[in-house]
Amino acid sequence: MRQLLRLVIALLRELADENAYQRHLTAHGRTHSGAEWRRFSEERLSAKYSRAKCC
Amino acid sequence: MLWAAVAVAAAIGLGGIALHRGEHINSLWLVVAAACSYATAFRFYGKFIAARVMALDDKRATPAERLRNGHDFEPTNKWIVFGHHFAAIAGPGPLVGPVLAAQFGYLPGTLWIIIGACLGGAVQDFVILFASMRRNGKSLGQMAREEIGRVGGFIALVTVLLIMVILLAVVGLVVVNALKGSPWGTFTIAATMPIAIFMGLYLRYWRPGKVLECSALGFVLVMASIFAGRWVGESATLAPVFTLTAMTLAISIILYGFLASALPVWLLLAPRDYLSTFVKLGVVMMLAIGILFVRPELQLPAFTRFTDGTGPIFAGKVFPFCFITIACGAISGFHSLISSGTTPKMIAREWHSWPVGYGSMLLESFVAIMAMIAACVLQPGVYFAVNSPAGIVGAAPAAAVATISGWGFPVTVADMTTLAQNVGEQTLFSRTGGAPSLALGMAHIFASSGGGQTVIGFWYHFAIMFEALFILTIIDAGTRVGRFMLQDLLGHVSAPLGRTSWMPGVIGSSAVVVGAWGYFLVQGVRDPLGGINSLWPLFGISNQLLASIALCVATTILLKMHGAKYMWITCAPMVWLVSATFTAAWQKIFSPLPAIGFLAQAEKLEAALQAGTAADVAATQTLIFNARLDAAICGIFMVLVAVILLDSIRVWAGILSGNGDRRVHEAPFVVSRLQAEEL
Repeated sequence: MRQLLRLVIALLRELADENAYQRHLTAHGRTHSGAEWRRFSEERLSAKYSRAKCC
Repeated sequence: MLWAAVAVAAAIGLGGIALHRGEHINSLWLVVAAACSYATAFRFYGKFIAARVMALDDKRATPAERLRNGHDFEPTNKWIVFGHHFAAIAGPGPLVGPVLAAQFGYLPGTLWIIIGACLGGAVQDFVILFASMRRNGKSLGQMAREEIGRVGGFIALVTVLLIMVILLAVVGLVVVNALKGSPWGTFTIAATMPIAIFMGLYLRYWRPGKVLECSALGFVLVMASIFAGRWVGESATLAPVFTLTAMTLAISIILYGFLASALPVWLLLAPRDYLSTFVKLGVVMMLAIGILFVRPELQLPAFTRFTDGTGPIFAGKVFPFCFITIACGAISGFHSLISSGTTPKMIAREWHSWPVGYGSMLLESFVAIMAMIAACVLQPGVYFAVNSPAGIVGAAPAAAVATISGWGFPVTVADMTTLAQNVGEQTLFSRTGGAPSLALGMAHIFASSGGGQTVIGFWYHFAIMFEALFILTIIDAGTRVGRFMLQDLLGHVSAPLGRTSWMPGVIGSSAVVVGAWGYFLVQGVRDPLGGINSLWPLFGISNQLLASIALCVATTILLKMHGAKYMWITCAPMVWLVSATFTAAWQKIFSPLPAIGFLAQAEKLEAALQAGTAADVAATQTLIFNARLDAAICGIFMVLVAVILLDSIRVWAGILSGNGDRRVHEAPFVVSRLQAEEL
């Protein structure tokens, strides 16, 4: 049950791009800040919304 | 032994719903038939394709591992990729298509959803995902160019652009028809815009990175707006402000699409997209639990008289129109764009593509089955009263109920009035587009789980909010993508026009894209037959033709890998799809019946114009032009796909005769070094 809950939370975090943000911080050796989130989110969202959304 | 029992249960379930006549059938039959068919297909057919045809190999490093960059390419837990892929492929299509196709009865659509998904849709998604995964996450267009030729790549791009224009118009029309004359619904949806902007600012400046927290807050505010919507709907002052005509709503949505496309993505689009993804997953789960808990009886028969092509919702016989009306729940070309987009870049082990590619489509198909159940739990008379356009059944309630009762589906004005009052609407007659009847069915199921008639109004508007929320997200995201595609093309003519940050280019290209789909949306609103009759088949045809292109690419790849041995796996669904779609497209253009054929419709209007019997000359001339334009669009789709089909057949003939290029363009084999704990 705990494993399932962990999986659900991980899925929600992935859909919310929070996991991707953590990976971004780790990959670039940076710490969280408002400016860093904005930099990450602009890059992430511009890639995300250049692809068609499904019907 | 267990799998034999599951397969037998699938056979009994399918046999039960296929042979059942007379008394109402319980929805559990559909649930059991679908779930057991999916389980059997996944375990045996999906695994056969994975093991024998694709020869998936977990020792082979995937692009997520080889090209890992912490952004797009990242090895991810298979269930997370599954959820991510499912959230990306699940749109309004599997919800609306089955509701419209229920005019034939529950059986044709249900069988197509189950069989189409197991043998067609899931196969397409899985093979394209596999092909993209073996090619460093390449897109469908890039693979078409490499495996078939440059023509294929170009056609795939043009087809996607055209489909997007039709898709955005048709989903816009669904929202318009759901909200016209509904102050409660209109207020709730209007409120989602300031809520999204608040979320955007919250996320950017106040609590950066806290997307889940922000989405939870947004959800609470949206729920509050549904409660406030009832009060607005009952207010003598505010209700008239939010009671909008179809044309006003269409213009509002067009303006909204333009603004959302040109505004920074973090301000409106992204926060609402996060929220709509969570709401979508939550509602799908709630609906599944609700159906299992309530186990409602289906009120619509297995077949209705409208299999003969005289249906009021859309005209045309069960073959081919059932198979283009239900696209996303059975097979959808759009999925091939997702399967060759983000997903292949997240797959950690090759075998994960089996549940992700094949399994996600089966789950999407199950969503379509739930939508079919939600539509069929309505009394047939109510279902047809809600979904039939005024141009067919008559604008006056008395005329509409007389026409519908005359078809053998009794309904009274009092029934419809009581139902409308219960859900807080002024009227439910001729609310075409599928969304209101789906919302009614969902509200019926949710209210039967607890609360009864006292909460049915809340659930109806909750369901409308759920549908409109992600349809509007598709509209603004789609307009933005269309703008990027257009700017990409215009960049070859003038460099500044290609820059996505150059404001005049952004505004100009947004206006062109919005103008294109807005034109079709207005056309749908003006259409005396409600617009769905012409636009939904156009959307279905275009989407299924994109699936034909994807299956052409998949067949070419299988042919290069194994010769003719396994080409039937993708070739058989492609042949079926091409037959159904080309027949539908041909009929939509050339059928002599004005209710079906665009050209016959134009001729009929032309005759009325010449005889002087047309009520409004200018409006009739516009309708004539629109009918011819729709015929031309349909023709363009057919020609584009015929070209890629002939090009593919040329490549296949070359391979089979031994003269063609049999090289597969896979990335070289690299041994995976991924550790189990990294997944």
